[in-house]
Amino acid sequence: VSNSTKLILFVEDDSADARLTQRALQKTENSAQVFRVENGDDAVKYLEGQAPFQNRGTHPFPYLMLLDIKLPRRSGLEVLQWVRAQEGGIALLPVVMLTSSRHQADVNKAYAYGVNSYLTKPETYSQLTEMMSALQTYWLRHNEEPIIVEPPDA
Amino acid sequence: MSTKSSVLSRHLPSPDLQSEKIFRQMVESVQDYGIFMLDPEGYIATWNIGAERMKLYTPKEIIGQHFSVFYPPDDIASRKPWRELEAASADGRFEDEGWRLRKNGTRFWANVVITRVNDENGKLLGFGKITRDITDRRQAELRYRLLVEGVTDYAIYSLDPNGNITSWNSGVERIKGYKAEEILGKHFSMFYTPEDRVAGLPNTVLRTAEQEGHFEGEGWRMRKNGERFWCSIVVTPVHDEEGTLTGFSKVTRDITERKFLMEQLQNHAEQLELRVAESERTNAELEAFSYSVSHDLRAPLRTIEGFATALREDYGAQLDQTATEYLGEIAAASVRMNRLVQDLLNYSRISRIEMSLQPTRISDAIRKVVGEVGRNAGKIDVALDDATSVLAHPATLGQVIYNLVSNAVKFAREDVACEVRITTSRLPDGFLRTAVRDNGIGIAPEHQERIFKVFERLHGQEEYPGTGIGLAIVKRGVERMGGRMGVDSKPGEGSEFWFDLMITDPNVEQEQESK
Repeated sequence: VSNSTKLILFVEDDSADARLTQRALQKTENSAQVFRVENGDDAVKYLEGQAPFQNRGTHPFPYLMLLDIKLPRRSGLEVLQWVRAQEGGIALLPVVMLTSSRHQADVNKAYAYGVNSYLTKPETYSQLTEMMSALQTYWLRHNEEPIIVEPPDA
Repeated sequence: MSTKSSVLSRHLPSPDLQSEKIFRQMVESVQDYGIFMLDPEGYIATWNIGAERMKLYTPKEIIGQHFSVFYPPDDIASRKPWRELEAASADGRFEDEGWRLRKNGTRFWANVVITRVNDENGKLLGFGKITRDITDRRQAELRYRLLVEGVTDYAIYSLDPNGNITSWNSGVERIKGYKAEEILGKHFSMFYTPEDRVAGLPNTVLRTAEQEGHFEGEGWRMRKNGERFWCSIVVTPVHDEEGTLTGFSKVTRDITERKFLMEQLQNHAEQLELRVAESERTNAELEAFSYSVSHDLRAPLRTIEGFATALREDYGAQLDQTATEYLGEIAAASVRMNRLVQDLLNYSRISRIEMSLQPTRISDAIRKVVGEVGRNAGKIDVALDDATSVLAHPATLGQVIYNLVSNAVKFAREDVACEVRITTSRLPDGFLRTAVRDNGIGIAPEHQERIFKVFERLHGQEEYPGTGIGLAIVKRGVERMGGRMGVDSKPGEGSEFWFDLMITDPNVEQEQESK
């Protein structure tokens, strides 16, 4: 199955960082689609299918969420907690942290809140490209994803 | 019984001969009191068993002698025995306490009561004399008095019911500065401050003691020179057998110094608490600061390096060689700065964090580092003591070993294959030494101290890249784990960096216990 139909929801506030990461994600063969939102509130809106993301044709429900921790307004950890607290399909969404924080407290909290993987941004860009390639290979090709049925009102 | 002894019995007013006899027998057999009769001139007429025990004369030896034989020479010189008889004769009764002599010349302290005995017509018949040996009681009283007077840390004095001073000890003089003669008879309120006197505190103290049987308190008092001192006082009322208040005993202790020390101690404690709170706040701020530094400061560096790389990759065809090299410099510089920030954060963290030391197997930590570093390095040899644990903070220990091993690999000679040997060995003083030996370039003696300081580098970035913080982290880390470290090195012959940490393995503890 080609990854090109699959979508990664990428939550990152720094536009330069986002641009580089998106480029790294697309550097690999069989890369997925990436949709970026700039903050936690928008991530929640996207997952709930609220405006301006209500059209699931153009904004399909993601296969994976790539989530930064340090975000304006609602932090990555708060978004993660919100996801896991949802009833039904949304709670099952695979979530991978991608952050520059190696703070042990953040790592432990993320796992306690139910993150599926925790990645720290590597030192060099070539390492990031390698990492993003491996990420897609693992989560979008090898990994067996849950079937997510969204609530009917979504 | 002699003629003289019969004087008493003949003249005792007694209606019944039988009871007179019983009475005489009783007197004669009393053992604890010397009871005997003197004729009007003071010659001994009778002698009971108590007198014999006390003064050691048999009746035969003493009857007929003058009672002045019991008095010490001084008393005889001052004619005391005769004066006593005169007094008893005049007043009917005389009581005295004083030294008396036994037959063998030894002295005892006697309580003596001499009573005039009259015949039916009031004519002097003689004297009854009752003597008691109260040497023990006197000694106890003396000891007590010496004790009270000798106490200099406490002012002990007694008051009459109105608060006038009736007795004192040497502590009063020492603490309050008054001579005994200056305070006897004065009212004890003279020790109080003017404001306490106006407020009536001295009277309140006495009335409280009287009503409650006891008063304890602390307060300011005045010395003779006007100086104030802080004292603790205890006042106890004294009553006679009938329960009438006869006065008060008062014990005063100068605790100015103690009060001062307590206040100082409290001040120190408060200051310490403030400082702890401040340093906790500072630490929390530093923690937040370094967290934000690690995130915010490094993120743009990654971006710079990322775009330089992307530019080279995506537009490399349009750039000449110099432009491509420039991009390489930009990328390298940002990577270097990223590492520098990370190392600085590590250094500040290692200096600041609370290190809870725990028994740690150093051989495990070493093998883990060798696994990480050894992948792209030359030969790393280990000879490790697996049985021994040391007292360490595992994360810091890992950093220390990593920095030493990666240095050993990095500072290799160009012409010789890199060989690193890591050993651990027990030292006689309870430490385990870990030594990392390389065959690299070595360090000149004059540089061997400098290299442990932050930012000290002996080589250019071209030769051996680095931040100059690695060994500073090692030194600080080892010191914070209670260890010591050093280096042995000669230029061109390689270096041996070593550090010692305290051994905690059970074998050592058992050895120490069995000793």
